[in-house]
Amino acid sequence: MQLQTKTSRQRRLIGTIAQQEQRLGWYLVLPSAVIILVLIVYPIIYNVFLSAFSFSYAGKRSFAGFDNYIGILSDPEFRSSLGTTSMYVVLTTMGTTLLGIGTALALNKEFPLRGLVRSIVLLPYVAPVISVVFAWQFVFDPVNGIFMDIFHAKLGWFSERMNIVGDPNTAVWAAIIFSIWKNFPFTYLMILARLQAVDKTLYEAAEVDGASDWQQFKAITLPEIYYVVSALILLRVIWNFNKFDEIYLLSSNVKVLSVYTYLKAFTGSMDFGQGATLAVIQFLILIGFILFYVKKVLKW
Amino acid sequence: MVKKRNFTKSALFFLLILAIVFFCLFPFAQMLSLSLKYSWDWGNPSWIPSKVNVEAYKELLNIGSSLKQVPESVRQLLEESPDLTSAQKQAILSKYQSTGDVFPFLRYFANSLLVAFLASFISVCLAILGAYSFSRLAFRGRSIIQRGVLFVYMFGGILLLIPLYRIFAASGLLATPAGTIASLVIIYVVQTLPVSLYMLGNYFRTIPYSIEEAAMIEGLSRFKVIIRIIIPLSISAIITVFIYCFMIAWNEYMFASIFLKTYKGLYTLPIGLKTLFVSKNAIWDRIMAASMLTAVPVMILFMTIQKNLTGGLAAGGVKE
Repeated sequence: MQLQTKTSRQRRLIGTIAQQEQRLGWYLVLPSAVIILVLIVYPIIYNVFLSAFSFSYAGKRSFAGFDNYIGILSDPEFRSSLGTTSMYVVLTTMGTTLLGIGTALALNKEFPLRGLVRSIVLLPYVAPVISVVFAWQFVFDPVNGIFMDIFHAKLGWFSERMNIVGDPNTAVWAAIIFSIWKNFPFTYLMILARLQAVDKTLYEAAEVDGASDWQQFKAITLPEIYYVVSALILLRVIWNFNKFDEIYLLSSNVKVLSVYTYLKAFTGSMDFGQGATLAVIQFLILIGFILFYVKKVLKW
Repeated sequence: MVKKRNFTKSALFFLLILAIVFFCLFPFAQMLSLSLKYSWDWGNPSWIPSKVNVEAYKELLNIGSSLKQVPESVRQLLEESPDLTSAQKQAILSKYQSTGDVFPFLRYFANSLLVAFLASFISVCLAILGAYSFSRLAFRGRSIIQRGVLFVYMFGGILLLIPLYRIFAASGLLATPAGTIASLVIIYVVQTLPVSLYMLGNYFRTIPYSIEEAAMIEGLSRFKVIIRIIIPLSISAIITVFIYCFMIAWNEYMFASIFLKTYKGLYTLPIGLKTLFVSKNAIWDRIMAASMLTAVPVMILFMTIQKNLTGGLAAGGVKE
């Protein structure tokens, strides 16, 4: 009799410990979960809701159904903005990835002052956008900038001093170069970390077999970094597709989707409905790309 | 023959390293040099100023804004008019001395510091609890929340900008300066929380569970375990995450530009600098000096945590 009560009490005790764990788990995560629900999930739903309304100048809203979507999709400015965004994303992703791989391979070799050089390479990534953006504006300055000094005055590749950042047709190139410079250190860092984990004996064996540097790269290095590189490409596409600060601060002439949405919603007529619609469309395009990429390239 | 080939090879390699270093550093060199140049020197492509000019730094940091900026005639006039009280004289003088109208760098710096510090502190505190819960406690719904956090990475700020602006405007917080600062802090907490949760969660999993078990057998509660064991053991990771969040908040422009639009006195550095750049007070040396002063604290912070960060970024995945 007494034995029985003891075991049942024990069982109850064990039960309460598991329950306590459950409860504590929820308590601890609750503040974060509430913040994410209220300030990320709810706003996204609210954003979709807003996209179905049109706003008058007085800020009054009226139901518009899919009018905003139809309006945006048939807007030539939207299509050109989509084109600019694609070009920006493709070229910056290619640039950061290639430069990142190259730098990682070079800095993985032994040479004097390697530690210092490795720190220096991180500087562009570390520095605040707002401060380096002005340095780059000066680099591209038509009168005093070093870019025109080299490519116009010294080399003569440009026939006249052009205002690259100021001209809407060329500003995107300045934004691309700036973005590659700013972000390749991240790619480099990740790939270097992966390279350091590669088994050295693989290279020794290849050397014994008489493989050239290129063959070693193709047969050992590339398969080893394939996964991390394809993950980095995906991340880079996501980040650069949503990129705002780096582009807008360099030049508001680069009308990528984020900048277009920002200008639409917060300048001029402050059209929240169309702005929200743009944000939804941008998100859907991104989700579509992610699903495609995960299936085809990462083969999950 | 072999030796010669090796020599050219290592010379080429050396050149490559030099090119990489140059590519990374030249905008900084540009920035530093321009901040020290006089305006007549801007067109000079050399990075070494013909004559060093530190006026821009002095002006931004409010050093030596002494009587010398007040025109001679005004000073004479003040001395010759005895019926003015000293307070009135001071008011007139300060009009000439104040650089605040041009670019109140120190105030913007303080605003940025306040917002970034509060946001990253709150974010890290919440993330320590949340991440501990993820990595140690079994509870229903854990994997959903964990995946939800990952999913949040995919959203750019632009998707949240319009709804959050409307929500905060409707709540009335944006009507007062204090409320505006508070909403900006909340926004930055939201933006940094997923990163913090993810990075700290990954770190906590590397701490052996047996240490905690031993402590709990000794009679410590879960909560005390977090405070006495988990936090001290992962302090370097916590500092790293804190600085990372600080950086995000320090650099943020988009939300700040919308929320602070009507409060010039509350501007953070990014929006202040952008405003300076498009204003008529834009002078390259002033802009570059302000850029240097904005960049230097952050870069020093980053360099101090560089070792931890490399591991943390690799392990945690990062949001920009």
